[in-house]
Amino acid sequence: MTITPTAAAPRLAVTDPSFSITSDEVHAAREQSWYAHTEYGLAILRYEEVSKLMKHPKLRQGSAAWPAHNGVTEGPFAEWFDSWILNKEGEEHHRLRRLLNPAFSPKLIGGLVPRFQALAGELIDAFAERGECDFTAEFAEPYAARVIAIMLGLPESEWQMIARESATLGLALGVTLKQDLPQIEEALAKLYAYADGLIADRSANPRDDFMTTLVQAQRDGDRLSSTELRDAIVLLIFGGYDTTRNQLGLAMQTFMQHPDQWDVLAANPALGGQAVEEVMRVNPTVRWVTREAVETFEYQGLLIEAGTTVHLFSESAGTDPRVFGERSFDIEAERKPHYGFGGGAHHCLGHFVARSDMSEALPLLARRLRNPQPLPGATWLADSGNTGPISLPISFTAAP
Amino acid sequence: MKITVDLDKCQDHGQCAIAAPVAFRMNDEGNLEYETTVEDSYLDEVEEAADVCPVQAILIGQA
Ligand code: HEM
Ligand code: SF4
Repeated sequence: MTITPTAAAPRLAVTDPSFSITSDEVHAAREQSWYAHTEYGLAILRYEEVSKLMKHPKLRQGSAAWPAHNGVTEGPFAEWFDSWILNKEGEEHHRLRRLLNPAFSPKLIGGLVPRFQALAGELIDAFAERGECDFTAEFAEPYAARVIAIMLGLPESEWQMIARESATLGLALGVTLKQDLPQIEEALAKLYAYADGLIADRSANPRDDFMTTLVQAQRDGDRLSSTELRDAIVLLIFGGYDTTRNQLGLAMQTFMQHPDQWDVLAANPALGGQAVEEVMRVNPTVRWVTREAVETFEYQGLLIEAGTTVHLFSESAGTDPRVFGERSFDIEAERKPHYGFGGGAHHCLGHFVARSDMSEALPLLARRLRNPQPLPGATWLADSGNTGPISLPISFTAAP
Repeated sequence: MKITVDLDKCQDHGQCAIAAPVAFRMNDEGNLEYETTVEDSYLDEVEEAADVCPVQAILIGQA
């Protein structure tokens, strides 16, 4: 095996405020090498290597030390963060995953499809006649939050609470975590109270729904404690809302750049599922997935030291010309799988829900909002870790 | 029961090995290895593995 001298690999300044993870610079780096150096460690840029390292047994999920890195080592937030299934490894992770799995079964989720359709229709009805809207505030946000409410069995009228408290929890992923801690812990306390109410209700009055399945889940005589349940419920709200909202906004962005594909989707709603996959390949909201080397190992001639942070770049992998050829966006094409839901042991637990709700929403939007165009005034999250439009004003021609 | 995994589809996510270790495991290279026949008493576990496979690559049949 040839040892690639590390000096040959490009360097990306990913913490620079002007850095864009989908820029020509990153794509040029991908043509130079399968990896780059960053301030954090390594960035993996090509499809095959992202695919392999995403599931590599010598790499673990790499976010566990985040609060500690930001000076938060105790208290409700640190404890909640530590409880996340995302931050568990090995048997501890597998146990949680086994106990959470049944509630996320595709069969159970499939039963919610009519409600997703009705919800999308109701939201579109509210603004269609105006011929313009803020796509984030008037569609993506309420849709994502109300899907969570439907799934968890909360009254849908509570969606603004879900949106507001999750947004506050989201501050925890920013570098001002320590400063924002009191606010974050207040939001956490509110969501805990909600979760406790749900758990108590379904324990006393079991129904045929997601929350009951979650509360009753057992495996080999083991079950989730009430603390584990509330921690998980709040994580599901947090992990499911922002991501879905952002991914829907990014879908609208991509389709506005490819009006012919919007027409194809409007004419053939059965392509909803493939539209979601194609959008997440070229415009994933989770722009990178973080891993950390558990021990020193060699991969393709590169020595990766224990403790190294490895970021897997999903858009760079999804547009790798080695695998996908020339840049294109085609919802009818057969493609290899993308990594917008991560992969391996931590593969997104909620992907059946997210896939199912987005693949209902997009064709309906395509049929009702003809010829969508961006209006001025859009604001965006930074194009790194997790991205999407904060506001996305658009105009369109309404159709029934 | 009989188990078949469509290896063209399988992406080695290993969710099946978490759900039903009796039938599926990931080797040191991170690749899937599995039993093609498992006792029917493990049906629930194996069905769960088929359910959670992100790419739906697992087929269960009668032995
Ligand atoms: C478009 C929407 C979504 C996207 C793009 C997304 C993306 C992801 C990604 C990339 C990961 C893996 C992170 C890693 O390996 O480091 C992940 C994990 C996870 N997601 Fe999602 N997600 C979405 C929706 C949801 C929903 C709706 C839920 C739940 C209601 C959810 C719950 C989770 C959980 C619990 C994990 C951790 C799984 C584990 O560690 O075993 N996600 N998601
Ligand atoms: S869960 Fe599916 S994709 Fe993953 S290893 Fe098992 S069969 Fe393969």
